[in-house]
Amino acid sequence: MNDEKLKIGKFEFNSRLIIGTGKYANFDIMKKAHEASGADVVTVAIRRVNFDSPDENLLNHIDKNKMMILPNTAGCYTAEEAIRTARLARELGLPDWVKLEVIGDQKTLMPDNEETLKAAKVLIKEGFTILPYTNDDVVYAKKFEEAGAAAVMPLGAPIGSGQGILNPSNIKIILENAKVPVIVDAGVGTASDATIAMELGADGVLLNTGVALAKDPIRMAKAMKLAVESGRDAFLAGRIPKKLYASASSPIEGVVR
Amino acid sequence: MKLIINGKEKEVECKRVSDLLDTLSLNKDAVAVELNKNIVHRENFDNTKLRDNNKLEIVTVVGGG
Repeated sequence: MNDEKLKIGKFEFNSRLIIGTGKYANFDIMKKAHEASGADVVTVAIRRVNFDSPDENLLNHIDKNKMMILPNTAGCYTAEEAIRTARLARELGLPDWVKLEVIGDQKTLMPDNEETLKAAKVLIKEGFTILPYTNDDVVYAKKFEEAGAAAVMPLGAPIGSGQGILNPSNIKIILENAKVPVIVDAGVGTASDATIAMELGADGVLLNTGVALAKDPIRMAKAMKLAVESGRDAFLAGRIPKKLYASASSPIEGVVR
Repeated sequence: MKLIINGKEKEVECKRVSDLLDTLSLNKDAVAVELNKNIVHRENFDNTKLRDNNKLEIVTVVGGG
């Protein structure tokens, strides 16, 4: 059945799942997990070159014909660091969009919305398409949208925690108020978490650890693909209201007595 | 000449950014370079001169979420 495509800024996607490239045991498993996920966007990070033990080039293991690369500013603690990281990403030849992330606390990895907004304003002026990672806060979601963000990405739960969607009401409120796509980013631990996000009406789900650190990442990637599709279909189909009492599914008349 | 590359002091004799990348055996297409917090565009690697105490960031793409 047809669904409209996910549109973020000037880009369009068939899949509503965005998947990461971190924490995989090896590139082979990552590549197979990416394939199984059906995602057409993958996130990457930008880091200092390690001169002592140079890493193999990650980009050689991403099918760039099928998947678009979304650089992040993960690990940045100030707007300045995030701005510089985004510019370096563009310089690396990556598309000029960025998952903008400025962290405010080392233990929880909760975002610093104030610094993120500062960075967003600068980068939007420079022509970047900005997808800010934010708390599940409708006020900041609005501020990002007003600043020209192409999407907002509220967290379901802390990064890598796998706790699921801790505050569905906040996600729902953001969704009711947003005019740009809302992508639930972080906290998705298993398939049902992704489904819940999509059933709430989220436009997409971004996840990394839930797949990369699953016992079988390739199978989990497939599960996440189906979960996002199921959640989306259930949202479009429209769930029945919850009722306190039963309502028989079989005819009440004509029962053998 | 002393350079601060990715936060570490390094003693090298390189006149330009491209020389430095060669000395470090880096693939120029796989890195991006910042000199004193300003981007050095790829096309300027050959003509950007290095000076004592310059601070450089040399970055690449790695796995992330």
